Amino acid sequence: MTIFRRGFMRRLAIFAAVIGPGFITASVDNDAGGIFTYSLAGAQFGYSMLWTMGPIMVALIVIQEMAARMGAVTGKGLSDLIREEFGLRITFLMMLALVVTNFGNIVAEFAGVASSLELFGISRYIVVPVAAAVVWLMVVKGTYASVEKIFLLASSFYVTYIIAGLLAGPDWSAAAVATVSRPGIEGIRNYGYLFMVIGLVGTTIAPWMQFYLQASIVEKGVTVRQYRASRWDVILGCIFANVVAWFIIVACAATLYSAGHHEIKDAADAAQALRPLAGDYAYLLFAGGLFNASLFAASILPISTSYVVCEGLGLESGLDKRFDEAPAFYWLYTLLIVAGAGVLLIPGFPLVHVMVLSQVVNGIVLPFVLVFMLVLTNDRELMGKHTNSRFFNVVAWITVVAMIGLTVAMVLTQK
Amino acid sequence: MSLVALSELLGAPVRDAAGVAAGRVREIAVAPQDHPTRVAYLVVRTASGERALPADSLTACGATVRANTNLESWDRLAPSDGMLFLRRDLLDQQIIDVHGRKVVRVNDVEFDCSPVNSHLSLDVVSVDVGAKGAVRRLMKGVVPAFTLRALLDRIPPRFIPWKYVDLLETDPARRVKLKIAYEGLSKLHPADIADIVEDLPPAEREAVFETLDEEVAASTLEEIDPDIQVSIVESLDSNRAADIVEEMDPDAAADLLGDLPQESTGQILKQMDPAERQEVSQLLEFSEHTAAGRMTTDFVAVSEHGTVEDAIAAIRKFEGTREALATVYLVGRHHQLVGAVPLVQIAVSSPSTALSTLQEQYISCAPDTPEGEVAALFDKYNLITLAVVDEQERLAGVITADDVISMLRRKH
Repeated sequence: MTIFRRGFMRRLAIFAAVIGPGFITASVDNDAGGIFTYSLAGAQFGYSMLWTMGPIMVALIVIQEMAARMGAVTGKGLSDLIREEFGLRITFLMMLALVVTNFGNIVAEFAGVASSLELFGISRYIVVPVAAAVVWLMVVKGTYASVEKIFLLASSFYVTYIIAGLLAGPDWSAAAVATVSRPGIEGIRNYGYLFMVIGLVGTTIAPWMQFYLQASIVEKGVTVRQYRASRWDVILGCIFANVVAWFIIVACAATLYSAGHHEIKDAADAAQALRPLAGDYAYLLFAGGLFNASLFAASILPISTSYVVCEGLGLESGLDKRFDEAPAFYWLYTLLIVAGAGVLLIPGFPLVHVMVLSQVVNGIVLPFVLVFMLVLTNDRELMGKHTNSRFFNVVAWITVVAMIGLTVAMVLTQK
Repeated sequence: MSLVALSELLGAPVRDAAGVAAGRVREIAVAPQDHPTRVAYLVVRTASGERALPADSLTACGATVRANTNLESWDRLAPSDGMLFLRRDLLDQQIIDVHGRKVVRVNDVEFDCSPVNSHLSLDVVSVDVGAKGAVRRLMKGVVPAFTLRALLDRIPPRFIPWKYVDLLETDPARRVKLKIAYEGLSKLHPADIADIVEDLPPAEREAVFETLDEEVAASTLEEIDPDIQVSIVESLDSNRAADIVEEMDPDAAADLLGDLPQESTGQILKQMDPAERQEVSQLLEFSEHTAAGRMTTDFVAVSEHGTVEDAIAAIRKFEGTREALATVYLVGRHHQLVGAVPLVQIAVSSPSTALSTLQEQYISCAPDTPEGEVAALFDKYNLITLAVVDEQERLAGVITADDVISMLRRKH
């Protein structure tokens, strides 16, 4: 990957030496959309949704491990490998789709920032422009040291959800039993229940994560020799992300579900609803956690999208280049932030449609990305002796087929 | 003469001498050992398998490819790793643009197609790394040919002439067969080579370092980011690594070896020339962040009783870096430092002048001086070089301004 000397991704990768690319990817995955989905799962179905966490975690680890391994063995990003093995046209379509789905994600992040601060009575017409400016300035003008401190802080803030979960006073034994027990058959027959399962899987495993993780592994300069440590970073990152998700579900199950408050319309709404049930602290932690997660994801998504897309298409990229040297890169980056934040300020903008479109494109791209990843990780010429083992392939194919089935189901049920 | 693009030829129908549709073009092969740019044959996918259509029987090249021989006379394709297959080895792959000094990805390849006697000769002239090739490939078959042509005419081209293209090939045997020697790359400034190498994936980095001349490799390595330095040296076999490290400036070599795992350091040292090894091992014992860790032991020292002529003789024999040459140090009988003469003074004085009359006040520091203080000394006294002396006032080494600049930049 021909990237980014002294650029932001490089700095991020150096920072990632502390926390690890696997950890950052998994953390960014628990973004505004993720938090909402987990909250909703807890509010509507209580503890009975907890069994999904185990299988989701396994699927996440299997898929992320492939991306990380590819990065370490080949030293190339996923978009580069797809370009080299499958040609320009497929890469172009995939990058186009990636821009669309990531745009939807970016809108969701800014919406998360806006709604979390609206809880404290601050208008979105102030919050959103300020947040967009902060993101833009932090990435373009920030020094490595300052950005690192901010992100370190942001990653550690996910603990707020664990604390909120503890404050909610759940029935621990019921939660533990629900986590390890088989789902009841009546649950499967329930259309809403199935839809929720699909949503949980969809929000946890997204195409952009594979591109982002592999690019960070490459940027960090992880080679085959150091890969053992990176594998642990990926596994621990996935576990941490799932533990956070588990606590969000538990917190909402113990409070909202028990109190019969099943309907919430976004993640901020969940925080609001928690207040009378779990107390002011839980409410503050939930709201603060949402703000933090949204802003964190909003800082990373636009820049990484611009890098991955420009790299895959062979366009100049990097913040160390001038605007006229890398116009496509700067236009894309600026557009993602300005438009992503801007649409929230247009009254009556069909936000829901953007989200649905993004989800659908996400669902269409994911099977391709996963199948490409499996083809690439089994390519002996590319991976040498680090191709998938037979056992791993079985697990990975089951995961991929299940993912494809669920995603197709999700796309078909989107209305 | 006319130009034709690889993406136009790939998939084009092929008609043989009888005008019969024989198949479609699947690949284009160049034999670098016979001719660096000329196309040797086209791989045609026919009903009877893949066949190699020799380029010297081509009569038309474009939307349709015509040949003056018959399908039956074209050989069946046999595997060969001495051929450069343009679709597989070039299209969508990364190459080094020697002229633009960067790594780029190939969107298309342009051929010059000109008549020679009764057939056409097809030569690679350039690779397309701009939007033109990308749009042509994306739109081919999607929009009508004439619309596409009109569209392409409006896109400014970004071509790299073939002579400025260095291919990346990680297999050493194949590199020899394809005659890839990174000639263009090795003529660049080491700092530019370093930038390019940092942009490459690890396997390609090794390929470049296995091929580059030792001296060029050494100066390039000095300019590379320390983390990447380590991964490159670890990937080379210890013999080759030792050859390169020997050519490096001793302080840079010591910094590098200090970052390597102990085992690799030992192996590389073992294979080095004894004199070089001693110098580097001495430096290795100092902490990297002190004056001693930053200094080089290659410097010019002349007896305090010498003349300008002696100094010039010493300079002529000197093999270290040019930066260390900026000052000639005067030493006493036991190698203790007694004075310093700037190179400029030597250049403007007559050969018989006694050096002691030219000497200026010199600044020195102890080997264990922290690097921050070293930088402060350079700043305060506007130094170009700084002498490092041991407890007996003997001259141990010299720190040069370029090392201080790198050190300061690295901290930020």
